[in-house]
Amino acid sequence: MRSDAASIPSTLPERLVEPPLTEGTVTPGSLDDQVLAFPDRRPPLKWYLALAVTLTCLAIGLVFMGITVYDGIGTWGNNSPVFWGFGIINFVFWVGIGHAGTLISAILFLFRKRWRNAIARFAEAMTIFAVMCAGLFPLLHVGRPWLAFWLFPYPNQRALWVNFRSPLIWDVFAVSTYFSVSLMFWYLGLVPDLASMRDRTTSKLRKTIYTVLSLGWRGAASHWQHYEKAYLLLAGLATGLVLSVHSVVSFDFATSVVPAWHMTIFPPYFVAGAIFAGFAMVVMVLVVVRETMDLKNLITLRHLEVMNKVILGMSCLMGYAYFMEGFTAWYSQNTYLEHNFINFISGTYGWAGWLTICCNIFVPQLLWFRKCRTSYFWMILVSIGVTIGMWFERFSIIVISLHQDYMPSAWRVYKPTIVDLGILLGSFGLFFTLVLIFARVLPVIATTEVKGILPDAQPSHHGDGHE
Amino acid sequence: MSSGNASSVLGLFDTADALMEAIPQVKAKNLGRLEAYTPYPIHGIDDALGLRRSPLGGMVLVMGILGAITAFVFQFWVSAVDYPIITGGKAPWSWEAFIPIIFEVTVLFATFTAGLGMLLLLNRLPLFGHPVLASDAIKAITRDRFALSIEAEGEGFDAAAAQAALAAAGATGIEVLIEPDRDPFLTSDYILRAAGGIFVSCVVAGLIMYGAVKLFPVLPPMSHMEDQPKLAAQKADPFFKDGFGMQEPVPGTVARGYLPLGVSSQEEAAALVNPLPTTPAVLAEGKRLFHIRCELCHGPLANGTPTLTAAYGAKPANLQSEQIRNYPDGKIFWVITMGKNAMPSHAADLTVDQRWAIVHYVRALQRAQNATDADVKAAEAR
Ligand code: HEC
Repeated sequence: MRSDAASIPSTLPERLVEPPLTEGTVTPGSLDDQVLAFPDRRPPLKWYLALAVTLTCLAIGLVFMGITVYDGIGTWGNNSPVFWGFGIINFVFWVGIGHAGTLISAILFLFRKRWRNAIARFAEAMTIFAVMCAGLFPLLHVGRPWLAFWLFPYPNQRALWVNFRSPLIWDVFAVSTYFSVSLMFWYLGLVPDLASMRDRTTSKLRKTIYTVLSLGWRGAASHWQHYEKAYLLLAGLATGLVLSVHSVVSFDFATSVVPAWHMTIFPPYFVAGAIFAGFAMVVMVLVVVRETMDLKNLITLRHLEVMNKVILGMSCLMGYAYFMEGFTAWYSQNTYLEHNFINFISGTYGWAGWLTICCNIFVPQLLWFRKCRTSYFWMILVSIGVTIGMWFERFSIIVISLHQDYMPSAWRVYKPTIVDLGILLGSFGLFFTLVLIFARVLPVIATTEVKGILPDAQPSHHGDGHE
Repeated sequence: MSSGNASSVLGLFDTADALMEAIPQVKAKNLGRLEAYTPYPIHGIDDALGLRRSPLGGMVLVMGILGAITAFVFQFWVSAVDYPIITGGKAPWSWEAFIPIIFEVTVLFATFTAGLGMLLLLNRLPLFGHPVLASDAIKAITRDRFALSIEAEGEGFDAAAAQAALAAAGATGIEVLIEPDRDPFLTSDYILRAAGGIFVSCVVAGLIMYGAVKLFPVLPPMSHMEDQPKLAAQKADPFFKDGFGMQEPVPGTVARGYLPLGVSSQEEAAALVNPLPTTPAVLAEGKRLFHIRCELCHGPLANGTPTLTAAYGAKPANLQSEQIRNYPDGKIFWVITMGKNAMPSHAADLTVDQRWAIVHYVRALQRAQNATDADVKAAEAR
């Protein structure tokens, strides 16, 4: 009765046969030895060096955060009329980075794209860390972070309630929901892997920690049944979030009356941009992880190529969005919109506009070539380009629109201060510090999920609908 | 290996196929409840084991709907009932604005039901004392092997028969699991000690906090907003030679609207004459200001029954008394300007004209409360 999945005669032309998702022979056991053994090994010197660099960035950031909290946000570059400077740019940037993880873990799961299994864990972790970095900025921006809980509607002695008609409150709900759902999704996926780690680790301390974290998971069939259901439901729910979170973030802009913010294209435009930036970040990090952690057989070039295709697709969407901005400015015959668009390509910040357009639209076009999609040099180049481009896109949206709005007497050029730059550096430090720590203490690949899609993993009379 | 209090018998299989083939064979023997332990979910095993469908979908649906209703009702109540304030020109009950949060709360409720409902309710985790976790097989199970277990249900579990059945079905290793007499990991003893530890640390933390608050003055964390480069009345200031922030007026000058009264006691003030005419406009202004400034202590009819509660210790004077009705205007004006005993001065709150307007209105109140026949006739004649 047993038949090898690979030996099933396929009538498909060779081009269309799905290549295997892993390279070489991978068995569940070898997978565990490869992926779950990291915590039991001493990290290599380069890991410590990388950690030293990221911790330095974080420390610099903390100093500037301290200055902000102590002296107030007057130390930032924001001032009338650009009240939203780096704080909101970085917030939108980091929330966007997170979207790749949710897309990979939720939407691709629903579409049964099995290649996602090898990269989902890392991407989800990046989502969580990115949302943490994002949360930092509004927290500091409120000026008195110790009172930030006033953002939540709770009965208080002041007999005040939050304003539910404000998109900023929607944001509070959207981002905190996003964070808790991502965390739940991530943790749920981790539980069986943590159980594997519990049963293989040699250190008593780690065993205790993994025991508690894995909640005594024992792989019972009756548990898997509920587990799979929960995972499916969470994927469905998180799918809604991928679309909603950045839409709500875009409402912060779109529901206002500032020229070039008040646009219906904003929600889809923001969501596409978020996925775009997020994938670029994931590609960058995965290349490093793949090389330094010896995971080449699990995270294959094919994975990276598929992700690069997503980046290319999103780049084209972004091109459409930028084109539409220009078109709307011209077609609406609205002086303020026109002025704004001209500012985008030739004003004080014209360089930022062109940097955005080049990095987001032109550079990723390289990915039409298979050679670029599968070469480290080119994909890293594109990814760095996209990360820079997407940061400057948010810069353009926020600063260009605000620095010259309806009232020429209020126009003013915005310049960030060293405190702004220091906190941005600190947020990168925080992000990569968390990524580095995660890579050493938790399973970087969802071993349980990969085990389930290895050849022969499933009973032969059930595998993939073949009989 | 004693099988006296065996809780289950575990057979290991090398492949998912072997496990799936063994299930019907062992099931046919009807020795106890079957459970499988696998490193990853196996397609079709639910049917083979005869598991009922997971009720999670229904639970999540119900809780999701509950989340939506909660979010809507709460936002409606806050925005339209408890705190109806118009912002951005939108009506308090503008339900369209509630949609994003309704969506988020729905997802939040549904997610937590799916995650925690699955772990805590349906799978009854965390559970650290399950015999399988203490077995030798668990290392293989969470790695790459598949286990089928026959679990004891009540009395009369035949462990020997179970072992034989698993062996016949092709198990490569068989283990009899004994119900542990105590939880190997989280013993109740351990939990008690942990709880005790947490309690003691809370008490210690509380004492430290109390001490810290007692010892150090409680300061607001940052008060830079209060440090402003401006001149404050009671502060030193290097700008002037004498180093005072507040300066005497230049000798011989009078500030606009602050012409000195030229009197220095209530008795002398009797000579002051009310400069304002008794027009309806003046009386109306006097009435408005009386309601704002005087009524809380002297009462709406000025008869010394305050609208302020008895919490205000002193007894405000009855302005309808014989004595005060006989006061000349100037003496009332003096009291408003300078205050008297428990009555505060209103010089800073009311301009000179406003004070005189109030005096007119107090006079009107006194006359209304003590009307003579002549007054009544005059009013009727009008
Ligand atoms: C905070 C409460 C308070 C307010 C406000 C207040 N008063 Fe008085 N007033 C008093 C008290 C108490 C006395 C009795 C003082 C005493 O003789 O000890 C008094 C006494 C008086 C007297 C009698 C003074 C006398 O010589 O016996 C007059 C007249 C008077 N108030 C007028 C006014 C007018 C007009 C206002 C509004 C501008 C006003 N008061 C506002 C508390 C108040």
